[in-house]
Amino acid sequence: MQHRALALFAATALTVSLTACTSEGGGTADGGLEGEGTGDDCTIGSPVPVGAALSLTGAAGSYGESQQKGLELALEQLNAKGGVEYELTVEDDQTDPRQGIAVFEQLTADDGASVIIGPTLSTGAFQAQPIAQEEGVPVLAISNTVDGITAQGDYIFRDSLTESQVIPQTVAAATAEYGLEKVVLMYANDDALAEAGGEVFTGALDAEGIEVADTLAFSVADTDFRALLTEAKAAEPDALVVSSLIEAAIPLVTQARELGLDVPIIGGNGFNNPKLMADAGDAAEGVVVGAAWNSGSDTPENTAFLADFEEMHGTRPDQFAAQAYTGLMLIDTAVRASCSGERDAIKEGLAGIEGVPTVLGELTINDERDAEHEAVVQVVDGGEFAVLD
Amino acid sequence: MFTESTVTFIALGAIFAFSFYAVLNAGQLSLGQAGFASVAAYTSVLLAPDPDVVGDLPALLAALVIGTTAGTVAAVVLGLPTMHLRGVFLAIATLGFAEAVRIFLLNAEWTGGAQGMTVPKVVTPAIAWAVLAVVAYWFWRSAPTRYGRALEAIREDELAAGAMGIDVGRHRLGAFATAGAVAGLYGVLWAYTVRLVGPADFGFTAAIDGLVTAMVGGTTVFIGPVVGSTFLTMIPEIQRALGVEAGWIRPFVAGLLLLVVILFLPGGLAGRIPRRLRVPELDGADGEGGAVGARERAPRGDVVARLTGLSKDYGGVHAVRDVDLEIHSGELLGLIGPNGAGKTTLVNMISGLVAPSSGEARVLGVAAGRTPVHRVAAAGVSRTFQHSKLFGRLSALENVLVGGHLVTRPTLVRRLLWLPSARRDERAALTHAARCLDRVGMLDAASTRANALSYGDQRRLEIARALAADPSLLILDEPAAGMNQVEAGELARLIRSLADDGLAVLLIEHNVGLVRQVCDRVVVLDFGEIIASGAPSAVAADPRVVEAYLGTEA
Repeated sequence: MQHRALALFAATALTVSLTACTSEGGGTADGGLEGEGTGDDCTIGSPVPVGAALSLTGAAGSYGESQQKGLELALEQLNAKGGVEYELTVEDDQTDPRQGIAVFEQLTADDGASVIIGPTLSTGAFQAQPIAQEEGVPVLAISNTVDGITAQGDYIFRDSLTESQVIPQTVAAATAEYGLEKVVLMYANDDALAEAGGEVFTGALDAEGIEVADTLAFSVADTDFRALLTEAKAAEPDALVVSSLIEAAIPLVTQARELGLDVPIIGGNGFNNPKLMADAGDAAEGVVVGAAWNSGSDTPENTAFLADFEEMHGTRPDQFAAQAYTGLMLIDTAVRASCSGERDAIKEGLAGIEGVPTVLGELTINDERDAEHEAVVQVVDGGEFAVLD
Repeated sequence: MFTESTVTFIALGAIFAFSFYAVLNAGQLSLGQAGFASVAAYTSVLLAPDPDVVGDLPALLAALVIGTTAGTVAAVVLGLPTMHLRGVFLAIATLGFAEAVRIFLLNAEWTGGAQGMTVPKVVTPAIAWAVLAVVAYWFWRSAPTRYGRALEAIREDELAAGAMGIDVGRHRLGAFATAGAVAGLYGVLWAYTVRLVGPADFGFTAAIDGLVTAMVGGTTVFIGPVVGSTFLTMIPEIQRALGVEAGWIRPFVAGLLLLVVILFLPGGLAGRIPRRLRVPELDGADGEGGAVGARERAPRGDVVARLTGLSKDYGGVHAVRDVDLEIHSGELLGLIGPNGAGKTTLVNMISGLVAPSSGEARVLGVAAGRTPVHRVAAAGVSRTFQHSKLFGRLSALENVLVGGHLVTRPTLVRRLLWLPSARRDERAALTHAARCLDRVGMLDAASTRANALSYGDQRRLEIARALAADPSLLILDEPAAGMNQVEAGELARLIRSLADDGLAVLLIEHNVGLVRQVCDRVVVLDFGEIIASGAPSAVAADPRVVEAYLGTEA
């Protein structure tokens, strides 16, 4: 037994020292990130290291997987273009704050990434992004929708629209379409995104002068909403406003229709998922969702993206994939702006992004380092998201 | 690989695992620690001063004090109504508490709901490890004390621990409060490490994480939680360093490794570290024997136990009916009777384990059955059990040390402070225990685990353990069962010598020969009633006794 323990220890020590060696050798050459030329002619000697901290497993695993696919497509296209090569390291934070922090620490190390994409969830963003801020590594968030993310520091950017940007437009469009006067608000109060979305909805409804007859809270883990929906129905609302993640959204929508609650259902960002139509079927008809990405947009960027994504992965992209794809494209724009893969150059480049055509539309990074582009209000019609005019 | 956060999280994970260790070591399964941690985290974030105003370290120290207090208070408040629950029931109750706390935090105004509260990052690896060192120090120093051994005894056999004079309820609550305090430390450190404290960090998954860490590390050696946390924290780091592709494969491998550890190292990773306890040498001279307080005994011939009209009914079954009996000190009283005569029920009432249905058992000044078992033991009653109730995973010597609970001094506080008197007292307790072992001829087996002993040795060890309490009334429930002729003869001599020393000995035995050989007086029980009493030879000739044992002539 003693011998075996000793052997195990020796093996572990050897493994650790070996891995330590390889990571030492894997650093980028000094100064190799400064290139020549500008814009499309920019050539950089060394590959630009890009880190992505995504939730590939754990509770938010489905979002992270989608994001990874979007990044892979962008990476392939950028590296095929030539001049600047990107070296993408995708890391998994397992939807665990400890892993998120550890991943960010490794990516911000001296031989780490020039820029970091992620993390997937806003809660993780608040826990991990300050590390990059302190180390002076620019971060581009691609799916954080909660307010206050970019306020953490001047190295934190995002290309995802916040709920506060999308929801007021959604409410305004739905009000114009359906003449809403009285609604019932339902939100999951045990999830950070859903709860924050509920707060934004409250403000937006108030701004439009719409009466909230009742506010009902539930849990993201709930599957039976009949009691709550019966209560909601009794208030005879013109619409149901729901902030929730997709897992709860599907049974909620289905059961609402079963109970004969046929009014429009206005959802937050969590509803923005093709699964809604796939799993809720006919019940999803008439669901109104604000989105940062118009999947039906016919801009050349978007048309090409849809085709290329389907060719590479065999599935259709969702908003998470589109925003991730855009993220890496924006980083490329930032790198080429001063033709440098250095951290501070990328930071300046990201801050200077203005009117760049992307799959999300023409995108500008504003002074608060948040993205500004057109949002789209969609309604489920015939099993597809259609633009609500 | 060993980045700042990894080093910090190893310490944090270990501290959280210690809060499970604290109760598992005392045989309790609680899942409420995540609840204690969140109570502590939120309370300290709310009440502690701002690090920007008073400085990082003072703010964190204040937060740690507040958090530890909050965790302890929460544990005591939860513990008082739930401490009588055992096993899975306690786990469910504590889990319910944690869930209630989580729901409260989600719905209260000041907590920020699901989005949580932002907290300044103050904790450095050095701070985390310093706190871990304090926690580990506590468990390291407390293990080989009277208190630490009492907790282990409760884990191994609660009933026997009570019969050795250990106040089981108070010790269990003590362990629970310790768990609350340690979980509180964890909660505060967590909050001041991850910058954002939210209810999701203290949910069911967190509780299971802590439990798994404690179990993987091992719950019998104080270093276990540290080993467990290092192992579990390093798995993802090592995989990352080895270049295992991010995604499902990593948690899959981690799960497999966990399975391997639990399958092949059931005692945890640290379970193979041997426990060392030096067996003191007995040179005959009473060098330091004075520290073990010998208890006052009733003078020879005094009545130590008086049973009047004692009865016990189980539904319609009258196990013991209207028994009147006196036991005198210095007397060796044999209690015999056919199977099911009610002998064990009777001694269970005398030792306070079973309350009588009617009548009274006054034993050494206390009403047995109406007072807690440990009080009856404290009055001077010590016993062995019909079916061995040893502390199986403790060594023979440790079993006897627990037996000496009532006559040794508490050493916990003094050991934490490294006072030399604690060392003296511990050595005296060891010497006392070794002497008791020697008296039953088992000193050679002192470091053998109790459950590895032969059956006969286990019976003798039980006697040594009972003797260590220095009792006035010693109850031996079938001590010779499973012994051969030679062993039984030695046992008879031992029992006789105990009575000659002035103890009152109540001997329950099937071996009528043995009883006739050593007893001063014999009482025969049949169908719960005393059918004969007197000198052994007279009783043996009593026709009713013969009838009870052999049946009537047809």
